[in-house]
Amino acid sequence: MITEPAVAIRGLTKVFPVPFHRQAVVAVRDLDLRVQAGEVYGLLGPNGSGKSTTLKIILGLVSPTRGKTEIFGRDSNEVASHEAVGFLPENPYFYKYLTGTETLRFFGKLCGLRGSQLGKRIDELLDLVGLTNARYRRLGTYSKGMLQRIGLAQALINEPKLVVLDEPTAGVDPAGSREIRNLIVDLKRRGITVLLSSHLLAQVQEICDHVGILANGVLVREGPLEELIAIENQTELILENASDAFVKEVEALAARSNAKLVARRRSTTTLERLFLDATKDENKQ
Amino acid sequence: MSSETAAITRHRAFSFSRIGAITTITLTELTRQKVFYVLLIFALLLIGSSAFLARFTFQQEFQILKDVSLGAMSIFTSLLAIIATARLIPQDIEDRTVYTILAKPVPRLEYLLGKLTGVLLLLAISVLLMSAMFAVVLYTREQAALQETARHFANAPRDQLDDALGALRASALNIDLLPGVAIIYLKACLLAALTLFIATFATTNIFTIVVMVFIYFTGHLQATAREYWLQEHSASWMARIFLAVVALIFPDLQAFNLIDDIVVGAAISLALFVKTAALGIFYTLIYTLLAIFVFYGKEL
Repeated sequence: MITEPAVAIRGLTKVFPVPFHRQAVVAVRDLDLRVQAGEVYGLLGPNGSGKSTTLKIILGLVSPTRGKTEIFGRDSNEVASHEAVGFLPENPYFYKYLTGTETLRFFGKLCGLRGSQLGKRIDELLDLVGLTNARYRRLGTYSKGMLQRIGLAQALINEPKLVVLDEPTAGVDPAGSREIRNLIVDLKRRGITVLLSSHLLAQVQEICDHVGILANGVLVREGPLEELIAIENQTELILENASDAFVKEVEALAARSNAKLVARRRSTTTLERLFLDATKDENKQ
Repeated sequence: MSSETAAITRHRAFSFSRIGAITTITLTELTRQKVFYVLLIFALLLIGSSAFLARFTFQQEFQILKDVSLGAMSIFTSLLAIIATARLIPQDIEDRTVYTILAKPVPRLEYLLGKLTGVLLLLAISVLLMSAMFAVVLYTREQAALQETARHFANAPRDQLDDALGALRASALNIDLLPGVAIIYLKACLLAALTLFIATFATTNIFTIVVMVFIYFTGHLQATAREYWLQEHSASWMARIFLAVVALIFPDLQAFNLIDDIVVGAAISLALFVKTAALGIFYTLIYTLLAIFVFYGKEL
């Protein structure tokens, strides 16, 4: 049973000196953050807010100016702590002259996998990300969505306990984006911790348990998603097949109490759902 | 599947198999970028020059063929070393591949060693292939020359024929060429390690290549400049330290130019070969260590 947090950040500050300038850039300032094992944590913020720098520090790619980061209780600067980690950077390209299978074999070998065990794992992952048919194609011929999916497959090659995703759906079409979200949900179901950064708030809202919002390197909001977005004094009822008379009765009931009916509207689907349904029908024809 | 896989991934602080994986992938990538086209140019140069040399005496022909071939081999391997190495790190950073590799349990030392070994293997294959082509052309010409000489001296005394054939064999394909080829390879290794060092702090391939071209020319001239300096100034300790620093930054590439002796048929002494090889290995190690040192502190 894992007791320690998947990621623990304490008093993290990162200052980038600017050549020929006295004033340095503070990318992250006094950041304290914990990602519990098994949850999906969304790190949000505008461009330049320090999201990517924070992720890079967690992965030991950038050294902190002050503070400490740990992965499952181990200092993240220790290379050995990366055994438990899978990482997908934003818009990855990889080696374009290698095929999908060769790419996964390479990353598998870096993680100590060999032989038939590695071959089996590659087959599983290609199947998981839907690239089995493109396995012998060079990555130079892959679309952006396919590169993102092979990137996700390499991040999972060592069966990590923590997966770090930097803008996992950036530049991917809605269908591909949906597939990646489904994969993230599947990772959560299998008990894998996911730490992701994103600009796409609707997607984050759909899959994250916890969110932290960074602005100018400072964590300005942090907590369970449901708590952060809940409006304390409002309740929603969604009714199906309710007659007008019944709805009027509910309204009257509300009027008789101290409650106030704020809005009454017809339920709508999302634009994304509409897009996916429409393109699915088109593909069938 | 999870418990089975997880059991395998026990981290080792240093792993030759991880370095091997990076080496293999670097070599595969470089090979698929069709860098071996340079060998085609080399082959054309060889064939072209042997056709042109038909008008000279056999000894002159062999001398010029060796001069052209070893010179071209030296230039091509040096160019290959600089261009292939210059793109390794900046390209990996630009494509973010370095993030995915170093986010795995891979120390930066292994990443750099794997990359460099990939280039050194590529250079070794190139040198071997060029040497093989060179040997085939030289051997073919030698056999033709031997037959023609034998015909020419058909009625001459046996001693005279043996002398003529012996002189031909000595000026054509012989074991004395091997040290020359080995030094060409070591010079390319040195240049690859130096390029890797520059690439660890450069932000673009172009910067690295421009700096390396400058170092390449300066490296060939620095021995002359040093001799001039020591003649003009009394060799004070300050001057010696300054020259040592210059020699470290700009390796004495002229010291690796042993082709001239080989071309005229003079064998390189074992002492000179060992000294030059040791210099090449020393420079390669120093630049590799410097590259590792800089790369460890690099913010990715």
